[in-house]
Amino acid sequence: MIKAFLLLLRRMRAFVVRDFQLAVSYRMEFFMRVLSILIVVTTLYFISRIFEGFHDTRFEQWQNPLAAWLTGLAMLNYFMTGFSSLATAIRQEQMQGTLESVLLTPISVPTVIISSSAWDYVQATFYSFLYLFFGSIFFDVEYRGNFLLALLFLILTTLVLACLGILSASFAMVFKRGDPFGMLLGAGSALFSGVFFPTQLLDSGFGKVSRLLPPTYGLDGIRRVLIQGQGLNEVREPLTTLCIFLIVLLPFSLWVFGRAVRRAKREGSLIQY
Amino acid sequence: MNRPVAVSLNHLSKTYPTPLTRLKQLLRRPIKPAVEALRDVSFDVHEGEIFGLIGRNGAGKTTLTKIVATLVQPTSGSVAVRGFDSVSDDEKVRAQVGLSTAEERSFYWRLTAEQNLMFFARLYGLSDDEARRRIIEILSRLELIELATRRFGELSTGNKQRLALARAMLAEPPVLLLDEPTRSLDPLAASSMRELISSLAGGNPPVSILLTSHNLAEVEELCERVAIISKGQIRALDTPQNLRTRHKQTERVQFDVRGLVKEQASKLFSALFNEFEVAEHSEALAISFTRESGDDALDRVFGMLHDNHAMVLSVETERATLLDVLESYETEKELER
Repeated sequence: MIKAFLLLLRRMRAFVVRDFQLAVSYRMEFFMRVLSILIVVTTLYFISRIFEGFHDTRFEQWQNPLAAWLTGLAMLNYFMTGFSSLATAIRQEQMQGTLESVLLTPISVPTVIISSSAWDYVQATFYSFLYLFFGSIFFDVEYRGNFLLALLFLILTTLVLACLGILSASFAMVFKRGDPFGMLLGAGSALFSGVFFPTQLLDSGFGKVSRLLPPTYGLDGIRRVLIQGQGLNEVREPLTTLCIFLIVLLPFSLWVFGRAVRRAKREGSLIQY
Repeated sequence: MNRPVAVSLNHLSKTYPTPLTRLKQLLRRPIKPAVEALRDVSFDVHEGEIFGLIGRNGAGKTTLTKIVATLVQPTSGSVAVRGFDSVSDDEKVRAQVGLSTAEERSFYWRLTAEQNLMFFARLYGLSDDEARRRIIEILSRLELIELATRRFGELSTGNKQRLALARAMLAEPPVLLLDEPTRSLDPLAASSMRELISSLAGGNPPVSILLTSHNLAEVEELCERVAIISKGQIRALDTPQNLRTRHKQTERVQFDVRGLVKEQASKLFSALFNEFEVAEHSEALAISFTRESGDDALDRVFGMLHDNHAMVLSVETERATLLDVLESYETEKELER
């Protein structure tokens, strides 16, 4: 058991090292990405100054809009990685033509897919951290509260989105393109999950959509902890909702994924794109 | 053959289903018929054997190779690699098999040759130290060591192909699947590749090799047995020599001799053959005749020429090639239609 786990870790490391080496071979892209985050943070800072002195007790998380935007963007970046990286990993390997050679090694398809997305998480962690870091050192944004609790929200929401990502990857494996989960969740999260504005502003119809999206609860929880400084008792509601999402979606997504792999192997389309 | 079986194919069939048939039916879209790629294919590859698979494009060679490599599941029948089933024990099968294709896109172009191999070695479960030792050993053997730190994209087509073999050999698999291993190589590199393939099969431990190629001379030179595949079915399976003999029982022989005049040669050969040709060219005679494969005609001709103090300058034989054999099966298939 331990031996198998160590072997899995070694294989995951192989993917991370490979992707790091590939990323390093495109140095300019890295610097441009860091620069673009700095530009976004600076732009948001100046927009936030329009709302200086804004106090409305209904929007407690938005007393400092810059802090709300930065946590929103940092988490959105992470959540989207959780959601899209699995399908992207398959698509990328299929397009490059390397999926076949990877699948020829004694490694299971789920391990390939999870390991292929490992580097995306490393990157997302770094870039998400940059949003918060730039806000903190250049524009005096303060974060408080229990960072471990915020981390719990982050992990939980990412896991829920990874389940949707597994569904998305299953779709990519069978249909190759036109993944509906990606389109719905990508656009939906930015619009309805409270990344750029409070969800309270949405009318009852859109408000219902907002309540169906896991990132809404993830973001709410993280902001309650980091911006409002709330503790475990106060964030129980979004935490429970995320746990329910996970309990329902995890077995379902793994079942769908197993069927998709079998189908792709039967049709011989695993490596087609 | 007494050697143990390394790869066993049992009544293997594969039909690629038409994807999303029900959805297409619902939308009243035209449905393409399912494609039958393999039908009832059975054969064994023994330990240390080089087994050739020849056939035209689309004959089913690639599907067969992919099923053995566990990339595609058979519709019916089974494949066992050293006792492991390709469907239920697919990971164990992959640990036994190395596949080398001429597909350049199967590597990461921006990584060096060494980085590419290191990545795959880790996937095979090799520790970093083991992997480094193995990579150096293989790259040296394939004369690629000086290119280890070059990006894959900067390598020549031939070297890319050799690197594909290096990757297939990383985990020292007992079974190698080689798809046109010399396609992009220059004649010298192709020759040393053939030597390497032979040495792998004859090595200790011996490697079993399933080789698909359009280079029939290469297949003839390397393979102990050859299967001819056409439209997904095995049409013939035997040693190259037996396949040739089965196809054509005779061969054309030409002797270039000095020390005889044309009339004398005609008289001597008329005693041995009903049909023969004698022609004069640059102070020598070219005498050609047809003989049954395996008869004693050559022995008798040598004896006769020796008795008449003639000097044999050269002997050439023209026998059926695997191409003739393949062509004959393709023609047979056309006639069946």
